[in-house]
Amino acid sequence: MTILQTHDLKKQYGSGETAVHALAGIDLSVEKGEFVAVVGTSGSGKSTLLHMLGGLDRPTSGSVTVDGRDIFSLKDEELTIFRRRKIGFVFQNYNLVPVLNVYENIVLPIQLDGRAIDKAHIDSIIETLGLQTKLSNLPNNLSGGQQQRVAIARALASKPAIILADEPTGNLDSRTSQDVLSLMKVSGQKYAQTIVMITHNEEIAQLADRIVRIEDGRIVSGRQTHTASASGSVSGGQTARRAGTAEERQV
Amino acid sequence: MPPYVYAAAGFVCAAAALIISIALYHIRVKKTYASLNGLLDSAIAGTLTEEAFDESLHSALVSRFHGYLTASETAAGQVRAERARIKEIISDISHQTKTPISNILLYAELLSEQPLPGPAEGYVRALTTQTSKLRFLIESLVKMSRLESDVFVLAPCPSPLAPMFDRLQTQFTLPAESKGLTLTFEPTDICAVFDEKWTTEAIGNLLDNAIKYTEQGCVTVSAVIYEMFCRIQVADTGMGISEQELPRIFSRFHRSPDVRDEEGLGIGLYLAREIIAKEGGYIKAESVPGRGSVFSVYLPTNLSKP
Repeated sequence: MTILQTHDLKKQYGSGETAVHALAGIDLSVEKGEFVAVVGTSGSGKSTLLHMLGGLDRPTSGSVTVDGRDIFSLKDEELTIFRRRKIGFVFQNYNLVPVLNVYENIVLPIQLDGRAIDKAHIDSIIETLGLQTKLSNLPNNLSGGQQQRVAIARALASKPAIILADEPTGNLDSRTSQDVLSLMKVSGQKYAQTIVMITHNEEIAQLADRIVRIEDGRIVSGRQTHTASASGSVSGGQTARRAGTAEERQV
Repeated sequence: MPPYVYAAAGFVCAAAALIISIALYHIRVKKTYASLNGLLDSAIAGTLTEEAFDESLHSALVSRFHGYLTASETAAGQVRAERARIKEIISDISHQTKTPISNILLYAELLSEQPLPGPAEGYVRALTTQTSKLRFLIESLVKMSRLESDVFVLAPCPSPLAPMFDRLQTQFTLPAESKGLTLTFEPTDICAVFDEKWTTEAIGNLLDNAIKYTEQGCVTVSAVIYEMFCRIQVADTGMGISEQELPRIFSRFHRSPDVRDEEGLGIGLYLAREIIAKEGGYIKAESVPGRGSVFSVYLPTNLSKP
């Protein structure tokens, strides 16, 4: 099932001779449960892309469909609510509310929505992310890695359709980064959560199911989901190859 | 008093009554939505019951909703049952074929001890090799179906990595040496939370591949610890994996076109990934074609329910 799809997505800043094409026609689709890394150098347009995917900025042309809904057909206020319900964000600088404690930060999006808190789910997230002993701490009493773990927990808490992570380890040292990434990977697996992560770091991107490379506002590789994650959709060529190996084995 | 005073008073009263009724209406609407929300919450939690049977619209709604939920739950249950049945069949077939295969192997061995006419010896050898392959396939299928149908529950517990490393070293030193490869296990005192038997199997599969696809050089196993995870790394200096292949290697029965001349079934990496995921960890692969591959297994170091 496709959870996220963009069609000929374009974003242009300025106009005339000074126009900058941050995105020059992006077609991307993400299947439910996939962990996709978007890699590109700075200025390649990857952050612009993430902002479009999350409905934080409107494109010049093209569309973004999240969970069956063209998000830019929504009015600003509707979009805000859509975002709160369907998209979980993890930012480089954590964006936690400094006056709320860890637990309050985690359940904030659910409470804003006036929904009942699914206690079993929240407890499970807190345990997975190892935050049991930190629940009453304020964010500024936590290390960077711990703050990012809280942000991940917050993103997972409302069971969004998709989690968008923008350089989630950008402010962390390499050891802490490893833990944060591991937790993203493991919680993605555990809660069948779709994750799109932006990074400039190749090494970090390796843990994703698929790597989308972006250069000068265009996707240069990784546009399509691999047959591996979309089981059953084996291409003809591969079937033939497989039959070939089966025969060889019999000999 | 002049009549307009009465008129004004009447108007004020009417306005007040209107405001009050609007307010009451809003409160009622809010209450209705709140009760519908509660209804959905109980449906999601699976605790929806038809409590009151009366003439109210609410009761009628609960009743219909309950009917809808029961119907979709039944459909989902049927799908689940069907899937369970297929898994059961696969596991039955795998189990039932194990004994005959062992018997074939046994008789082939007995046959090879007999004096045989010229070409027959070759036939017996071929028979033995093919049956061994079949046995390996069936054993892998059994493991796979057990893991997938949750027949086998992994029991991760905090333990040191060193004993597992020792066991793997004993198991793989000979195969590595026979190919002229250096197999190194870097000493470690790291502890992690894992099921030793199955994790040994998973890392064994990685090592098996590393040795199989490396013609010269070395295979190195090492471990690093982080705050919440540790990383076991199996690095080789083999043929490597192309970038297009990399995301596919963990899927079931996937055989890379680059290695189709090699023996293999495309189960090892799939099994390894399943095992590690069940322990609350994950596997990652990196590779430079022509220079080698690095498989990293991440295991949690803190005890938490996987």
